Amino acid sequence: MTADEYLKEVLASQALGDDSDEVKALQKHRADVEKLIRDNFKDTALTIRYAGSKAKGTMNKESYDLDIISYVSSGDNTAGETIEDIYNNHKKALSKKYYVEPKGSALRLKGCDAENLGVDFHIDVVPGRFSDETKTDAYLYQSGGDKKRLKTNLDVHLDHVRESGVIDAIRLAKLWKARNGLPIRTFVLELAVIKLLEDKKKKSLSAQMEHFWTELRDNSDNLTVEDPANPSGNDLSKYLDDNLKSQLAAAAERTLDLIDSSGWEAVFGKTEKQEKAARVEILRRAAAVATPSRPWLPEE
Amino acid sequence: MTWHRSDPALYEKEKAEVEAQFPDLRFVVENNQVYVRGSFPVMFEGKALDRYSVELLLARNHPAGLPIVRETGGRIPRDLDRHILKSGTACVLIPDERWHLWPEGSALLKYLTGPLHSFFLAQTMVEEGQDWPFGQWAHGAKGIFQYYRELLKTSDLRAMTTYLDYLAAKKVKGHWPCPCRNGKKLRDCHFDQVKDLRGKIPRKTAEWSLSILREAGESAIEMDEAKPAASVSKS
Repeated sequence: MTADEYLKEVLASQALGDDSDEVKALQKHRADVEKLIRDNFKDTALTIRYAGSKAKGTMNKESYDLDIISYVSSGDNTAGETIEDIYNNHKKALSKKYYVEPKGSALRLKGCDAENLGVDFHIDVVPGRFSDETKTDAYLYQSGGDKKRLKTNLDVHLDHVRESGVIDAIRLAKLWKARNGLPIRTFVLELAVIKLLEDKKKKSLSAQMEHFWTELRDNSDNLTVEDPANPSGNDLSKYLDDNLKSQLAAAAERTLDLIDSSGWEAVFGKTEKQEKAARVEILRRAAAVATPSRPWLPEE
Repeated sequence: MTWHRSDPALYEKEKAEVEAQFPDLRFVVENNQVYVRGSFPVMFEGKALDRYSVELLLARNHPAGLPIVRETGGRIPRDLDRHILKSGTACVLIPDERWHLWPEGSALLKYLTGPLHSFFLAQTMVEEGQDWPFGQWAHGAKGIFQYYRELLKTSDLRAMTTYLDYLAAKKVKGHWPCPCRNGKKLRDCHFDQVKDLRGKIPRKTAEWSLSILREAGESAIEMDEAKPAASVSKS
């Protein structure tokens, strides 16, 4: 199996189809969350949509969150006067059913009943308000940091990733982040992958990944990313500080060394298909030394 | 009297042997019957490759009788093609072939590490999309036909039932016609083979198989012809 065939298998084993149990569970959660929000803001014109990896097509089975935006129409004050009010009122509404943890612009939902106490549902609700009637740009509240208001555009973000031409590389980079416990924000990683592979779209997936890690190893000091929805307004440098850059460079170096010394499997492990083949091989070896006996069945 | 009462030393021996090698299996006496319950591992090189929840009801005349095995976890579909009855009872082997898999009087441990282990190993392989590693007998009469066809090297149903008649008889006489139907007397032909098999296959078992084959008649062969003999793993 070539490196690219292997990487495709890794991605296939991480795929979450619409009929998978995981996605069905997410859809059920989304329906519950949407109902809870709408019931609490009956007089508010809300736009509730999937955002994040579900909308971008970059979900991996091993590590995924469900991002849901809940944007109030421009000029609608029924959910709160300011975006901070909107954020806090969403938090209050969601707290009726969940333990809600503020996380930047998002509200992370965790279980609060006896059965799910403290269980992280991996659902982030992002409240905000559209800036005008076109319902494109939106303002979000930021619970941490100096700047409390953030201007963004969900569709620009989604299109930037979906039309990047490097979705597979993004998914592998996300898997790499999860496997190495790297504390980089996913959207920052996505922007970094897109930027570093801007002129490598026609390369093979393995070549793209090797280039990505080589750049991180050798040039991470110079790496910067921009918010495509607001390049000059949103400063993302705080999400890619020197400490994180050095962690990324070290992890990239380890990864490249592993590929060199032990091959790609050392990076992403065996795929489901490979694991199954290995299991079947062990079972066959067990059968080869077992007492051969054939099952039968009397007529019932 | 049930075996564990008539031979408590044997009960203690069986229990100690089994529980030492299978720490997740427990002997339980209920309603004067002995059950072995727990988690049965499919082992290889000291590691459990898989596990099944099982219950074995040991025969009242254990170790002469065969245990009744049930897969209690509901993991194996209650499907005839998986050799599991609707009740969960597992059909581990044809009683007639017991003599070479778990000879009468053998310790229960030998049954667990032999045919029962192979049964669950095969179930795991089938679950993984593989063929039955040791093949499988067809259901009912045709499975018995297949077994005796392999054992006696004949597809002649009349010869087969004569053999079984002789195995089920209290005594056999040398002047009887040989079951191979070549016209010779038994003493001049297959006497040694019949004598040998009488020592391996209990009379009651032979009688039971004979009745099944007789009841099925030619259909045992016809059904068997439609679906060839015990399929052996391609792998």
